[in-house]
Amino acid sequence: MASINQDDVTRILKMLDESDMDELQLVDGDLKLIVKKRADGRAVQFTTDHAEGSSVPNDWEGAESVSPPQEPQVETPLPPSASLEGVATAVSPGEEDGLLPIRAPMLGTFYRAPKPGAPPFVKEGQSVEEDDTVCIIEVMKLFNTVKAGLRGRIRKICVEDAEMVEYQQTLFLVEELT
Amino acid sequence: MGGITSVFIANRGEIALRIIRACKELEIASVLAVSEADRNSLPARAADRAVCIGPPQPIGSYLKVKTIVMAALGTNSEAIHPGYGFLAEQPELGELCAQHGLIFIGPKPDNIRKMGDKLLARNMAKDLGIPVIPGSELVRDPREAMHVAEQVGFPVLLKAAAGGGGKGMKTVNGPGDLETTFQEAAAEARSAFGDDRLYLEHFIPNARHVEVQILADHFGNAIHLFERDCSLQRRYQKMVEEAPSPALNDRMREQVYDAALSIVKHIGYLNAGTIEFILDQDQGRFYFLEMNTRIQVEHPVTEMITGLDIVKEQITIAGGQPLSVTQEEVSRNGHAIECRINAELPEADFRPCPGQIAQWNPPNMKHVRVDSHCYTGYFVPPYYDSLLAKLITKGDDRPQAIGLMEDALANFTVRGVDTTIPLYDSIMKNQEYRNGKINTRWVEHFLKRELGKNAEN
Repeated sequence: MASINQDDVTRILKMLDESDMDELQLVDGDLKLIVKKRADGRAVQFTTDHAEGSSVPNDWEGAESVSPPQEPQVETPLPPSASLEGVATAVSPGEEDGLLPIRAPMLGTFYRAPKPGAPPFVKEGQSVEEDDTVCIIEVMKLFNTVKAGLRGRIRKICVEDAEMVEYQQTLFLVEELT
Repeated sequence: MGGITSVFIANRGEIALRIIRACKELEIASVLAVSEADRNSLPARAADRAVCIGPPQPIGSYLKVKTIVMAALGTNSEAIHPGYGFLAEQPELGELCAQHGLIFIGPKPDNIRKMGDKLLARNMAKDLGIPVIPGSELVRDPREAMHVAEQVGFPVLLKAAAGGGGKGMKTVNGPGDLETTFQEAAAEARSAFGDDRLYLEHFIPNARHVEVQILADHFGNAIHLFERDCSLQRRYQKMVEEAPSPALNDRMREQVYDAALSIVKHIGYLNAGTIEFILDQDQGRFYFLEMNTRIQVEHPVTEMITGLDIVKEQITIAGGQPLSVTQEEVSRNGHAIECRINAELPEADFRPCPGQIAQWNPPNMKHVRVDSHCYTGYFVPPYYDSLLAKLITKGDDRPQAIGLMEDALANFTVRGVDTTIPLYDSIMKNQEYRNGKINTRWVEHFLKRELGKNAEN
């Protein structure tokens, strides 16, 4: 069976929107899609790539910032018989929480602090402004500062200090503040 | 004994897959650099690991020397294989590898530098007593070019000193065209290489392109793996390659092998390389053209007639092992032909045709080899060259290899993108090609007849 793509998700959301149903769950191999209507009747959705034990996150319904509906995030469909093994892992964890990613603008070594021993640029729970530096990525002694690019609260730091990150890998998950 | 245990591949497409296959056979781990456009490519799935190094445009990904070295180090790779194109002939990559304790699977940076300057290479060959095409040192301006051109005789060929691949290379038919063509060639060389130095050679109208594959290890062993004939080319881009050359006699064959090996030994060359010669069919003479310091697209032709795996040899040589064979142990057998199947439309001046492949059915036949990264549903990205597949056949002799190529082409179905398959079919059926009576300008005339199109340079 072909993978679900972004168009399919958009179509599913529209179907739910126009129907009397409140909730839809769809399982396709490893992909599990749960779509629920909020009180105001608008469809919101999230996906996860592990069908096992997944459920609606506890803080989902109570979350302040679920609107407007996020762009559907779906695993890029692979051609038939594809194995995920070896595929670059940049589209990584956690975007299902309605949080926004700060991605690596280049491949390099991720540093949380301006120099060893110094306090990190940001910690989990900390608020950032668009122009705040959140980390450094080093490519062959060339240090590139990475800005938050949005206003919000750092909810998760996805990479260990001094780890190599790939191009477009998710570094931080941010709860956007409006 | 020792040897490399993990290879970082800084390339894409069919050659990436080819290198991964060699790694698997040698039980070596493979890590592949991918651009954002190649994240889900066939080689990305075949490699043990793929690392996204940048955006689709090569300038931000496959051409970034520091990023590539960084990614190789970050994935604990021991060596880098550059494939062909991209960074394969950039001495900076080998130098940076050495600084960081990585093995570069290819020649020494100094080898690449020496042969990269085409004018220096030409002078070196001359010093070794190898014939070079009558021509000049640098020509600084059109007036100097005119002076040399009158000495060697029109038509002449202007070439970029930094060049290769046909960039900055222009034919001048008579004195009237020299000034404008000089400026055009210089401008092209400047934009392609950042170096507009030109030199000039007598143009050989009835020429064949013959090249010798060589291998050299750390212990001073250097061998040749016979020649390939790549005379069928359009705008200096090879289309069909075959081995052995239908145009060389045994005496000349030995002469080009000797010439190739004398260059290799003189510069202390390491790993795989190719020395190119121009054969003047009217005069029965050959001339040194240039050396390519990398694995070449057409290497399978040589593998088919020798039974050797050149990519595996590259890896074991780089790992410090001696060549797996001596010159006496290498033998050739039969005749092999390769067609480069491109996503191009010959009727529209070979316009590239990127897009989704709706159906991909390559031939599955005995003595037919297909090197390709394509599959049904694959999207041919617009950022890279248009090579879809290399189709290689082997027969006991040339007619058999041609016949098999006709069958293989007839059994190669591609839908969704235009390809050069139909063109190769008409070339294989052409009597002049079948008789082996062609030269480097033959396709130009053939296309004019076949397509009613102008395929001039």
